[in-house]
Amino acid sequence: MTLPRLILRNLSDGRLRLLAGALVLVALALVARPLPFARDGVSVLAIVDITGSMNVRDYVDADGVPTSRLDTAKVALRDLVAGLPCGSRFALGLFTERRPFLLFTPIETCAGFAPIDGALAGIDWRMAWEGDSRISAGLFRSIAMAGELGTDLVFITDGQEAPPLPSRGGPAFEGRLGGVRGLIVGAGAPGLSPIPRYDDRGRETGFYGAGDVQQENRFGPPPADAAQREGYNPRNAPFGAAAASGTEHLSSVRESYLRTLAGETGLVYAPLDGPHGLSAPLRGAATPRPVPGRLDPRPVLGAAALLLLLAAFLTPLLRARGFPTWKKA
Amino acid sequence: MIDALVRFSANHPALLWLLPLALLPLLTSAQRRVPVAALAAAPPDGPSRAISALLRVAGIVAIAGLILALAGPYRRGETLTRTGIGAQVSILIDRSGSMNETFAGRQPSGAEESKAAASRRLLAAFVGSRAHDQFAVTAFSTAPMLVIPMTDRHAAVRAAIAAIDRPGLDYTNIARGLAMALSQFGPASPATSRALLLVSDGAAVIDPRVQDTLRAAFTRLRPNLYWLFLRTKGSPSISDRPAGEDTPQAAPERHLDLFFKSLRTPYRAFEAEGAEAVAEAIAQIERLERDPIPYTEQRPRRDLAGFAYAASLVGLVVLVAAKLGEADLRRTRRSAAPVLAIASDPARHAA
Repeated sequence: MTLPRLILRNLSDGRLRLLAGALVLVALALVARPLPFARDGVSVLAIVDITGSMNVRDYVDADGVPTSRLDTAKVALRDLVAGLPCGSRFALGLFTERRPFLLFTPIETCAGFAPIDGALAGIDWRMAWEGDSRISAGLFRSIAMAGELGTDLVFITDGQEAPPLPSRGGPAFEGRLGGVRGLIVGAGAPGLSPIPRYDDRGRETGFYGAGDVQQENRFGPPPADAAQREGYNPRNAPFGAAAASGTEHLSSVRESYLRTLAGETGLVYAPLDGPHGLSAPLRGAATPRPVPGRLDPRPVLGAAALLLLLAAFLTPLLRARGFPTWKKA
Repeated sequence: MIDALVRFSANHPALLWLLPLALLPLLTSAQRRVPVAALAAAPPDGPSRAISALLRVAGIVAIAGLILALAGPYRRGETLTRTGIGAQVSILIDRSGSMNETFAGRQPSGAEESKAAASRRLLAAFVGSRAHDQFAVTAFSTAPMLVIPMTDRHAAVRAAIAAIDRPGLDYTNIARGLAMALSQFGPASPATSRALLLVSDGAAVIDPRVQDTLRAAFTRLRPNLYWLFLRTKGSPSISDRPAGEDTPQAAPERHLDLFFKSLRTPYRAFEAEGAEAVAEAIAQIERLERDPIPYTEQRPRRDLAGFAYAASLVGLVVLVAAKLGEADLRRTRRSAAPVLAIASDPARHAA
């Protein structure tokens, strides 16, 4: 038998084919370059409510320590940004009074992670420039701002309007329904909790009491049921004679109100369940924006080569134990 | 040596548990089994043993190489500290409502540029003109706002500056803004040149109680202080004495200037009444802030999977070559052809 004939005969050997297959795959892995492909990134403007009710500590962190809504929201946003594919863009703003305040326009989330992280860590309720919390007005302006920046919106709030909305309801949304996509994130627990109170040096001094806040909005016309109230007089006491009572000094997440706002504006409501979990709802609600990604084909080639190689070495063992292999005789 | 070892790591270290599979070639072989009547009939053969050992090693290398490659080995990147020319610049920007007016004190119309838009345009050019400058951005109106902490990511700083010509807020509370801008410097080597750049179109009274705190912070950090005063036409200048009583309430700009002068830190005020004057002031600051600054450079991590694939390839080439050169003693004897030397270890397979 000559050498060429010998090689020819050996070529029909199953294990040779396995080894040769592995050889080709590994050789391919050595020369393979990452394949470019488009991934779905997002471009998002996050507006964080920094009003007083966001200081309510109705979350519990990993160590069991009560944590404020604002701190939980900050951690959740950090988690969200860290999980976005590179090429995504993130802008940050604050909300208090009735308008959002833009801290920075969109930044690429991988190269700019350190500054974004620092800016998120720096958010503080003390940055608030006024005490009111007119959520709907702030939300509508945030939507307009996201539209200007060409981004989607994540608006984190607990939904507590201060002062309370008048009986005829809040302002109407004048933008285009669904013109900006994104999330309204409801921060807070469903049960009522006291709101911490701070003095003018920023030190905590206790909680708000029932008499410290406006319990009913008495601007504008009285509600329809005012005539049934104690001491009602159309001219002198259109809201009744009794002082307003209520639970506005306590706070819970106003989920039904936020869901209504979401329906009005075409956003999606998502509850903030803790420091994780904003990523999935955002991906569902946001406009997918192609960002360049790279796929390394080497692990696939390498894994296939390893399987072929192991098969080549294992067949004699298997055959010896009576497992069927390709060999006829 | 240990340092060098510590820097090796893998993406999926759990896969390394598969490494014992690489011992498989010691148990079995990919070569064909050849029955031999009596092993003792063959004399001990050095080359045969060498080939046998080579094949086992090749098998081990091929399998182990692939497993290592799949685990994604890499050498960690490192952060190198070098020295360049630049400064730590903490920018403190007034975001009060009046910044959205023109230098003439009107709402901008047509081609007119507001004070905020002018400072945005000129500051954006300042950021990034030198590679090793570090910037922090703080905004203030009623309350100070940390916008971007000290960073060398100039794109992020420009994004923060791009936001400054949006509608501003209410008042000018300069004392708290200064305190936060000073806190942005953070720890750095004492040799680092620090600059605090205040961009505002007005001033406010600094509470005497806060003055001492600020004085202490300035003494400790010793930044070069630049005040870019965007003066509206017709409003009092920094140096104007008021006609009546000379109190901080009557002339806050003048008294802020006096306070800055009393700090005993290098201080310069630039009064700008138009975009050109702002540009000139920024160019001057750029010329003044030329000191060595330590900066960090990231050396990216190095992917080592390629080496593992190459090792595996070498092993596979040997295995495939051995497989191609296999000779079957029974059949070759029948055809009376010369026996090829590259047979697998006959001793073992006959056993």
